[in-house]
Amino acid sequence: MTRLSKGSIAALIALAVGALCLALEGVAPWLIAFPKGWVLPATEWVGSAMEAVLALIKPSARLFSSLMAYPMEAANWILGATPWPLLIAATVALAWRLGGLTMALMAAVGLGAVLASGYWPQSMNTLALVSVSVPLALLIGGAIGVLANEYPRVRAPVQALLDVMQTVPTFAYLTPLLVLFGFGPVVGLIASAIYAAPPMARNVLLGLQRIEPEIKEAAIMAGGTRTQQLFQVEIPAAATQIMVGVNQCLMAALSMVIIAAVIGGFDDIGWEVLLTMRKAQFGASLLAGMVIVIFAILIDRMSGTLADEKRRSYDGRVSLAILGIGVIASLVFYGQVQDPGAYGLFHSTADRVDAGLSAFTSANAEALTAIKNGVMFYVLLPLRIGFDQAVLPFTWGFVWTSGMSLALFGVAALVGLYCAYRGRLTFGVVILIAAGMLETGISQLPWPFVLVGVGALSYVAGGLRLAALSVVLLATILLSGLWERALLSLYLSGASVFACAVLGGAIGLASAVSPMVWRVVRPICDMLQTIPLFVFLIPVLMVFQIGEFSAFLAIMAYAIVPMIRYTRHGLTETPEEMIEAATASGATGWQMMRDVRAPYAAPTILLGLNQTILYAFAMLVIAALIGTTGLGQSIYLALGQADVGLGISAGAAMAILALIADRIVQGFAEERRKALGL
Amino acid sequence: MSGQATPAITCQNVWQVFGANADSALKRALSSTGSADEAAALLRAEGLTPAVQDATFEVQEGELFVIMGLSGSGKSTLIRCISQLLPGTGGEILIEGEDIRAASPKRLIEMRRKTLGMVFQHFGLFPHMSVAENVAYPLRVQGMGKKQRLAKAQQVIDLVGLGGREKNFPRELSGGQRQRVGIARSLVADCSVWFLDEPFSALDPLIRRQLQDEFLDIQAKLKTTIVFITHDINEALKLADRIAIMRDGKIVQIGTPSDIVLNPVDDYVREFSKDVAKGQHARVASVMQAGSDLPHGPDDPGLRRDMTLDAALARCMELYEPVPVRDKDGALLGVVNPADLAAALQVDPAA
Ligand SMILES: Nc1ncnc2c1ncn2[C@@H]1O[C@H](COP(=O)(O)OP(=O)(O)O)[C@@H](O)[C@H]1O
Ligand SMILES: [Mg+2]
Repeated sequence: MTRLSKGSIAALIALAVGALCLALEGVAPWLIAFPKGWVLPATEWVGSAMEAVLALIKPSARLFSSLMAYPMEAANWILGATPWPLLIAATVALAWRLGGLTMALMAAVGLGAVLASGYWPQSMNTLALVSVSVPLALLIGGAIGVLANEYPRVRAPVQALLDVMQTVPTFAYLTPLLVLFGFGPVVGLIASAIYAAPPMARNVLLGLQRIEPEIKEAAIMAGGTRTQQLFQVEIPAAATQIMVGVNQCLMAALSMVIIAAVIGGFDDIGWEVLLTMRKAQFGASLLAGMVIVIFAILIDRMSGTLADEKRRSYDGRVSLAILGIGVIASLVFYGQVQDPGAYGLFHSTADRVDAGLSAFTSANAEALTAIKNGVMFYVLLPLRIGFDQAVLPFTWGFVWTSGMSLALFGVAALVGLYCAYRGRLTFGVVILIAAGMLETGISQLPWPFVLVGVGALSYVAGGLRLAALSVVLLATILLSGLWERALLSLYLSGASVFACAVLGGAIGLASAVSPMVWRVVRPICDMLQTIPLFVFLIPVLMVFQIGEFSAFLAIMAYAIVPMIRYTRHGLTETPEEMIEAATASGATGWQMMRDVRAPYAAPTILLGLNQTILYAFAMLVIAALIGTTGLGQSIYLALGQADVGLGISAGAAMAILALIADRIVQGFAEERRKALGL
Repeated sequence: MSGQATPAITCQNVWQVFGANADSALKRALSSTGSADEAAALLRAEGLTPAVQDATFEVQEGELFVIMGLSGSGKSTLIRCISQLLPGTGGEILIEGEDIRAASPKRLIEMRRKTLGMVFQHFGLFPHMSVAENVAYPLRVQGMGKKQRLAKAQQVIDLVGLGGREKNFPRELSGGQRQRVGIARSLVADCSVWFLDEPFSALDPLIRRQLQDEFLDIQAKLKTTIVFITHDINEALKLADRIAIMRDGKIVQIGTPSDIVLNPVDDYVREFSKDVAKGQHARVASVMQAGSDLPHGPDDPGLRRDMTLDAALARCMELYEPVPVRDKDGALLGVVNPADLAAALQVDPAA
């Protein structure tokens, strides 16, 4: 071998540092666990600094909060006081106008189910919040997008800010808001507006930037002023993309309004889920979750038609007729209509689900425990604390000895050497590193190794600048004393992402090969993507109770979708000519997949992986509600204690992890794209 | 062409350089080197793109001026400098005597409303507006009432032969129809200077020819000043009063169609005209020796100044001595040596 590649050098350095740390463990224990004495009280600093800042703007925040109370109360009153037949008719009429008969039927059935569930008043409270926060988010997001388009100089900072906002976990917003605005629904409102504005801003900017230059030039040459160009030509020409933003904004706002229920007993549907979950009334909790899902799907599908380029509008007279029926029904039966909260058609079902569930779990207790323990003992625990501690008589039936460690390293070294001999040095070294990580466990990795390893990976993916950025950011976590919790988060999200990558990749591959599979998988993916984060907790909790395994499952269920979608998309988007060329060369279907489709799909699949990572981090915090350790739990605790310092620091640490992962994967994707000349 | 009248467009040493700090880099390059070529080379070496270099020319009122060159030679950039879609990095651009580079933003809008019109290669139609709304848009920005502007738009829509399509949206039209919309839109405000950036290049040959003919009809009717960009020599020869040929940002030759065909200044220009049937484009005037007292032989095959070389050669196949060229009243304008006629038709004259 003449010269080592960049990847091999990086892997060798990481290996050397790791080996050194393990070897010196006895002499210098500070190499493994970062000494407490070195930790800076950064959390307290952040806390006092933030509190000072918050105290400064608190008066204006409180003023704003009391101002926002008006539209909120108005929305609440309107939605609460309007007779339900009228509201249903109005929604169905709108649905008809947007999507014709199918959409109208969907709206009618969906809202009918909500009414029957007896959760109508709570739903209306949630919708009232959404209906105030969304216009706010659209306005803020739209303004940011337009400004970033108008002033190229603020574009880069705005993009960076939007990136960061996307990675900061939802709960982390809540703590400072809580301190600022005090308990109450306004916090949820503002949190959801803040959370929902970035997608709008992003899409507005994207839409405006994507307009064909000639269209903009035509507007200039027609003699339009800048305002005329913007409002008469550019914004309408970008309408489709902007509508995508509106759709995402709506969904984000809904999701956040529901999550915000954790801070207070505001009588909304998210609170209902939380309450029933705490009381272990899973039937009721499932019912409330179903109501959320119905709203999510209705809002998504109805607003989604706006972003459809080929949409047609349906006869408005039908809409008017439907609305008319609603008015008449309300008038005729006014006084007679039951209080919408009094319906309880599904209560018996919910009770039966509860009973059935208890019966099911007790009948299958053994099997369920076996599944749970199997995954815990043989996969999650070794990943977390390493073979040396996870392998015990209680779990594996024997004790891990140093001889076994030696054997593990020996085998890994042999495989690694073989790979190196075959010319794949980097791969061989990575196998050795993986063996070391399995032996120690992710949560107990020596910190110098993590810094150097991540730095090396960043260097390979994105050059020196990325490496420097990663190391500096990680070092801040290290110094702030959140390191152990960060590693725990890393372990759980890493495990889930890995599982998602394998399983999602396989499903994506199957969907790419067989249209039949895709026909089944696709609606499931659509469904999973529309469901607000929070709802994922209900079913796993029902079956597996509180614990890390449930969190693992919930994260997987949420984060697997992008992996499936991107894998399939990447594998099916290969240009026709390349397929034909491969066919003409006599490639079999499998060879085609391996030699043509997979390499071509690699950048797309990497982007899917990237999304999966971000999704996993987002869900990690929510999953803290059902029992995870790590940063998610810290954020949640901080919320309970209104501890701004801890909340912000832990949120920032989480964002840092997500950001580094994002940049590394993007770097690899970019490199693959370049290699393919895309 | 009268020398005294103000030209419709004057370009004086126009530069457009892309890259960081282009303005100062150009100034530095120009002051530190002797010629435009050296300055351009220096800019390139610094990693900048001199997309238009030192362009100097005039376009007279009512003239149809064609800019031709390979893709990437800077044609679009030049036309965008003149219309101020790009600011220009150096030089002076006058539109009907007015310095457009010095115009205030307000004045620029004014000029675009009243004086300048533009047609784009990929049409640049507004996807959310119907044909009629697209065409009427330049009037809308001026604040003209809806009824009035739609009535005005209707006239141009009829002029370009799109009557009956007013309510359609761009996506419902074929390429040729779309470009008719683009043309109508650029005509609706009665502009006096008309820019067309490869308006027919995205169309297939048959439609292209049809639109070229219609374009010539419109031009004959309106008599506007036109700057027309193309990379197709046949299109250039068919339409142009004069042609400017660009290469790598530089204008290498400006001349009438027959100049370009018969007297290419270098191999680049020659390469363009290689496949052209020269005899059909070049005129007798280009090989004629002018003068009413020049000696000529006894035969008079009846040559005229504006006859194509093919036609002229067909009449003097058997002749060897110079023949007279007369105007339509029979007055002697000059003489042509039949040998010159034949030599001019050589596809690749040994230079
Ligand atoms: N906005 C721009 N920024 C940087 N370079 C540009 C820009 N626009 C055009 N160029 C460069 O200027 C040169 C001329 O381009 P253009 O005028 O579009 O050529 P043409 O229209 O003759 O095909 C090309 O090399 C192109 O890459
Ligand atoms: Mg061009």
